[in-house]
Amino acid sequence: MQPGRIYLDNCVTTCPAPEVLAAMQPYLQEKFWFPGTFISTGESTNEMISRSQQLIADTLGAKPNEIHFTSGGTLANNIAIKGLANAYKQQGRHIIVSVVDYPDLLTNAAYLEKNGFEVTYLSSDSEGFISLEELKNAIRKDTILFMTTYVNHTVGTIQPLSEIKAILDSADHKIYFHLDAGQGYGKVPLKVNELGIDTMSISAHKIHGPQGIGALYQKTGTKLAQLIHGVKRVDNLQTGGLGIALIAGFAQAAELVCSDFERNTAYLRELSNYLLEKLEKEIPFVELNGPRGEKRAPHNINVSIDFIEGEAITMMLDQKGITVATGSACASEGLKANYILMAMGKTHIQSHGSMKFTISRYTTKAELDETVQALAKITQELRNRSPLYLAMNKEK
Amino acid sequence: MQYSQKVLDHFMHPHNVGKMDNPDAEATEGSPACGDQVTVYLKVNDQTKTIEDISFLSYGCASNIATASIITDMAKGKTLEEAKNITWKDAMDALDGLPPVKVHCSVLAADTLQSAISNYEIEHGLKEVPDFGKATIEEELKKIIYPQVGEDIIALKMVKYIGFQDGEVTIDLNIMKFDQWRDNIAEEIREHLMKYPDVKKITINLP
Repeated sequence: MQPGRIYLDNCVTTCPAPEVLAAMQPYLQEKFWFPGTFISTGESTNEMISRSQQLIADTLGAKPNEIHFTSGGTLANNIAIKGLANAYKQQGRHIIVSVVDYPDLLTNAAYLEKNGFEVTYLSSDSEGFISLEELKNAIRKDTILFMTTYVNHTVGTIQPLSEIKAILDSADHKIYFHLDAGQGYGKVPLKVNELGIDTMSISAHKIHGPQGIGALYQKTGTKLAQLIHGVKRVDNLQTGGLGIALIAGFAQAAELVCSDFERNTAYLRELSNYLLEKLEKEIPFVELNGPRGEKRAPHNINVSIDFIEGEAITMMLDQKGITVATGSACASEGLKANYILMAMGKTHIQSHGSMKFTISRYTTKAELDETVQALAKITQELRNRSPLYLAMNKEK
Repeated sequence: MQYSQKVLDHFMHPHNVGKMDNPDAEATEGSPACGDQVTVYLKVNDQTKTIEDISFLSYGCASNIATASIITDMAKGKTLEEAKNITWKDAMDALDGLPPVKVHCSVLAADTLQSAISNYEIEHGLKEVPDFGKATIEEELKKIIYPQVGEDIIALKMVKYIGFQDGEVTIDLNIMKFDQWRDNIAEEIREHLMKYPDVKKITINLP
């Protein structure tokens, strides 16, 4: 971590833990070998990969051979979604997703839509929960796949997976269930055997692991049509080479966040509650986006700050050494308001003024104090420049 | 994509910011829905027609605030005729450039300055309210920047046809279906033209 910088954008990526870097080190140097059979070098790597699969599988309530390493969450999502759709297209070509899902899911849905599949997009309520009523009504005889995002990457909403699964099971045929758990893994309880998930993606760098490695959970018996063809080095689904050291680092990160899950998540929850309370107390006209309390992931706080624009806020905080994110169109590559907030029925102004703070195990209360103090000052400064704030004061 | 030091300086410590009491003219452009809105206030010497004081308010991003700051610096002390020649390109050059995707934010500040000057001239009988027609539409389209390259859509020959009849504006655009900015441009054209009371309907044709 850059010394002195306060980093509150942990939903995008997290700082690798020192334990993770230490676990990776041997595999970057003396133990760099790809897996192989019979010879000691390859067998040593086989053994590390098996151990890593076992460890990650244990954290998820899965079997080791159900864990496939991929070069990230997006690859895992692609292999699963396109793989499921193509494997089961003889049984139907209808897919269900929601408008508040992660871009990986939505772009895959759009791709499939262009290639002979039909997609139903469920709407969201004002807190980012998908409509279960619409899900019930959307199921058809030819529905083969439902996919969703466990924890929303913008507002931290936790989708009610058990209720969703019950609806899928009430259909008179099998509907495959793919879950993007990039934001959920290590933050909210997640046991695939209890939830009845068929495929799922997770990512190492969201939990203090290295960037460039993720995993795909594939329930035993679930078929996936091959997406990537090539030489098998590490995995049969993502063929080709994969960073061996990254796998070692991923397993270490999984152990770190899941071995003491209750304490870790309680710490995140305590900090995010503290942050929200301070924001609401010290800055006027601040509104929480997404649910309050236990239905929200413990590391996410997203608020709209009225009368000012988020890119300006993030730039000012950045100048003070604080990294946060905004849903402002002006800060997005496509110059569009945040699609999650818009789908939740927020206004353009609420989206442009939205600020997302995502904390990690390394965040401290002192950092949050400093952030809110800086933000309060910035907010006042930008409001003094804002014609909207002036107009509001005039009306009063 | 990074801001120049000059942009950051003007953004962090803007010049001429704040509401002006009893201005001789003012103008507000943009809308909160688009993410930026600027108000410019002018104090003009009645005899010399010199801009003696100028200030702005901005609901917008760093680029928007920095451009409003520098453009008000540039206009201060100039006659209205001189200030009319200040363009968003001048402001952008003075800021040591802007990332292409941010150029459209700088146009708004320049546009608001010109509107404030125009309002002064209309209010003081120096010019008539211009008739709305194809020329006005073309002027508005020159303010719409294609974010990929930071040039306006007229200069880039993206506008194939402009028509105006019985309150209906018709614009044919040469922007392909796969272009990621297609919807942004169409939306921005509507926002620019809807503010004119003469415009009752806007039809934008895309290939």
